[in-house]
Amino acid sequence: MTDTRDADTRDADTTDTDTPAPLAMSASGITIRFGGLVAIGNVDFTIPERGIVSLIGPNGAGKTTFFNVLTGLYRPSNGRVLLGSKDVTGMSPHKVASLGLARTFQNIRLFNLMTAEENVLVGMHSRMRSGIVRTVLRTPGQRREEREGREFARELLEFVGIGAVAQELSRNLSYGDQRRLEVARALALRPRVLLLDEPTAGMNPQESARFVEFVHRVRDERGVSILLIEHDMSVVMRVSERVTVLDRGEKIAEGPPEEIKSDERVIEAYLGKTGTHGYGEDE
Amino acid sequence: MATTAAPATDTRVKNGDGTGRGGGDGAGVRRRHRLGDRIWPLGFALAAVLVFVLYQWILPQAPAGVSDFFQTWLPMSTINQCVIWATMAVGLNVVVGYAGLLDLGYVAFWAIGGYVAGWLMSGFFGQWQINFFGHPAPGQESGIHLSFWLVLPLAGLFCALWGVIIGAPTLRLKSDYLALVTLGFGEIIPEVFKNGENINGFNLSNGVKGITPLDPISTGPFAYLGVPEELGPFDETWKFVIYVLIATFAVFVSLRIREGRLGRAWLAIREDELAASMMGVPLMRTKLAAYAVGAFIGGIGGVAYASAVGGVAAEDFAFSSSIILLAMVVLGGMGNVWGVMLGALVLQWINSNGLAKAGEAINQAVGKDLNFPSYNFLVFGAILILMMLFRREGLLPETRTRQVLREPDRGGAEPADAELEGERR
Amino acid sequence: MSQTAEAHAPRSRSLPAPRVLLEKATGLGLVAILGLWLVVQLVRTPERFAGALVEGVNVGAIYALIALGYTLVYGIIELINFSHGDLFMLSTVLGAFVVITVFGATSPTLGGFGVLALGLVVTMTLAATVNVAAERLAYRRLRKAPKLAPLITAVGLSFVYQWGGVRTNGSGQKTWDSLLGDSGFTVAGISVPWSMVLVTGVTIPLLMLMMWIVQNTRQGKAMRATAQDQDAARLMGIDVDRTIAFTFAVGGALAGAAGVLYLQTVENTRWDAGFRLGLYAFTAAVLGGIGRLDGAVLGGFLIGIIQNLNDSGMLPFGQKWSQTVVFTILIMLMVFRPEGLLGRPTTEKV
Repeated sequence: MTDTRDADTRDADTTDTDTPAPLAMSASGITIRFGGLVAIGNVDFTIPERGIVSLIGPNGAGKTTFFNVLTGLYRPSNGRVLLGSKDVTGMSPHKVASLGLARTFQNIRLFNLMTAEENVLVGMHSRMRSGIVRTVLRTPGQRREEREGREFARELLEFVGIGAVAQELSRNLSYGDQRRLEVARALALRPRVLLLDEPTAGMNPQESARFVEFVHRVRDERGVSILLIEHDMSVVMRVSERVTVLDRGEKIAEGPPEEIKSDERVIEAYLGKTGTHGYGEDE
Repeated sequence: MATTAAPATDTRVKNGDGTGRGGGDGAGVRRRHRLGDRIWPLGFALAAVLVFVLYQWILPQAPAGVSDFFQTWLPMSTINQCVIWATMAVGLNVVVGYAGLLDLGYVAFWAIGGYVAGWLMSGFFGQWQINFFGHPAPGQESGIHLSFWLVLPLAGLFCALWGVIIGAPTLRLKSDYLALVTLGFGEIIPEVFKNGENINGFNLSNGVKGITPLDPISTGPFAYLGVPEELGPFDETWKFVIYVLIATFAVFVSLRIREGRLGRAWLAIREDELAASMMGVPLMRTKLAAYAVGAFIGGIGGVAYASAVGGVAAEDFAFSSSIILLAMVVLGGMGNVWGVMLGALVLQWINSNGLAKAGEAINQAVGKDLNFPSYNFLVFGAILILMMLFRREGLLPETRTRQVLREPDRGGAEPADAELEGERR
Repeated sequence: MSQTAEAHAPRSRSLPAPRVLLEKATGLGLVAILGLWLVVQLVRTPERFAGALVEGVNVGAIYALIALGYTLVYGIIELINFSHGDLFMLSTVLGAFVVITVFGATSPTLGGFGVLALGLVVTMTLAATVNVAAERLAYRRLRKAPKLAPLITAVGLSFVYQWGGVRTNGSGQKTWDSLLGDSGFTVAGISVPWSMVLVTGVTIPLLMLMMWIVQNTRQGKAMRATAQDQDAARLMGIDVDRTIAFTFAVGGALAGAAGVLYLQTVENTRWDAGFRLGLYAFTAAVLGGIGRLDGAVLGGFLIGIIQNLNDSGMLPFGQKWSQTVVFTILIMLMVFRPEGLLGRPTTEKV
């Protein structure tokens, strides 16, 4: 019940263009310690409303850990995470998600035995309200909700370009379609912020290039702010409005792509890794 | 493509734009799925009607040889047991098959449901005299006597409440730990009933003697249609109708929920817990709902069972029952309600009657003296092992899971994440 | 923007701390009440209390042996080997067959002890073989499967073993004579049965051998490496399949030993003994911290002692609630302290 209420209020946020807060998401002073080890040290980070920003860094820099703080999987030892103007520090992931933070996964994590459409419908879970009794009785309200849900799901699937396979089990989709389905499922939350975790992993250069356009389309047409973690530097440089570089848990540089390209510390951090393709999981 | 075969009433599939891609395989799957949607309920209803007509009207007139044959191989009491166990298996399927939570103590809900029937439909609580549409046997007016039809939902709700009580502290555990904890509850609750004749002077359960007899089932307005007014121990064919209705209810509820928001959330959790929570599915609440629905069905199954055997006794609720139910779910195909139903009917027949009779027949034919019922455990154990090794999706898999469950899962990062999730919450 | 959300945030942030505190307080409070009760009983009836302790250590040693089997296997492949208790039950039946039916060893002669040693070897070997066979034929094929699959398989295997128990031992209880009978000696007013000396005399060296194997041998190192990270272990040239099979063999052998020793103290065999004892032992493993060898031993003794204190009326529940007491401990542990007494979330496994 609370979920839906929160979803409604958030909905008001996203549509209300007069909202003074220019930031879709901000994290301040984030520190994470595992035992004595400082995995993330005092990192400040913001995502502007309708911005596209990237987080990069060599393997083990703490990108995924930081991601997990944003999504609520880890509770930071210090610091605050704001989604819009709501403090979501330490909220459980489903709560943060229903407040407007959606994500995709580096190693695709779809619900394999569900159809593409059902996958998207799961993303709408927190926006729907039918409980056990209404579902069993199939009340008019429940039927309308299901119908509208399916229509929206269909719209999203069309938007990402896989409307034709809506009834296929997601595991039977091609790799590229699965990536698209993940985005559609995330968009079903009607998020304010979309986190993409290495979305071009396993794509060839042409696919990556198309992906850059796709990210812009998502931002422009769905009105979300986007944060990317990405290894492919060509993608990062083409897509981002701002790049943040993490190394060993600390922010070492931040700025527009051109600046980052020539930043001494960044080059140093990546020394020996100029090949820009790292498939390993960090941390 | 699929539009050609789409029955109009099916809200699931709106094919307007579903053409173009997808290929024949998907269409085939869908068509079979929808065909299956109709064949199973129709078949079940037809079978139920046939059984009823046969046992109520034909067999009493039939020559002795024929009715003896049915008495030996498929007596009405066995059929009733099969239907009741099938109800229970459908309930367990919600927890294990839909939500993917291994419950090894499902018998606890069965026991609670049975004892609710015992408390509310007998002369057991002699210190009180309450009668609410009840039908106490003459001379048994003391005690609590509620109508069977009222006891069903009460027991269901009481069990659902217990499902939540048991689930709330334990559902955040990892799956294998959860299995053991449910097992612990499955042992504790029957033991409470077994030792419950004197809890601080209060007789909760009458100990090992159990509660018996139960009130007959009233049939209300149907009495005018020729149904006996009260269904006692000997009206087995009429009780069969009631048990079929209860089973139908269980099937109906689980199918409906499966198609809705909650069912999707269950499947999502079963498939990938972490991803589900990241998509806004509240894990605890969704799992608790699965527990509650499963427990509700277990509770009404428990009432049905108590009314079929005419009482409750603590030793009916053994660990082995939980496992036999699990075998039913696994054999039929986790998640597929009709498969589970069929699996349960067959297995319970083997369990209660089939193995013994088949054994006698084989012994006579071969001239040996093997004790076939003693192979019961072997049969059920072997079913579990062989199904897991060779056909994890069950004999009648959910359409979607066909050929799929055999694949290794992604492994790797998942357990670590799940653990982490457990720590946090 | 909404007050509702504003109101939510602080609450859900501050929620965990009090809940954790409350859980801790509840857990500690319960333990404290029980402890206090025990102290009262100790003062009131010291002899009976001590007797229960002795008896508890006796069964506890056997629980420890079984618990090690659970913990070893869990430590290495994260599987609760549900059938382990029933493997133990089969071992009691086999032990009775070898020691008593075949050799008729029921008196504490030199020959009798020789037969017992032989029985131990035979039972341990066979139990290890059965366990390895189960791993080879069933669990190995399911190592990459969803977690439910091996667990359900283990449950099925448990049923098959129980059937084996019924076939060989009948559906009732069989009583046997032990080597040492009820004889014993008295220390400071506490009677100690000789059988306890025998059980601890066999168990403690076995446990030490176990620890030594895991800590110091090549095979032990391979086990620890495999438990940490199977893929990495494989890359380091460790034969992971063989290591896991070896772990099952060790666990099986310990269950075999437990079976023979159980017969020497409890003097009966039942087809359903494995279910109850298996769960007690599993509780012991969790109590100590599953995956930890020393934890399993500690847990085994603790559960044995708690159970016997309850059986002898030292706890306010009485014997007929013993099973409920142990299962309640299991559930409380899972809820309040799933990592057990010795375990820490980051602790090394095996």
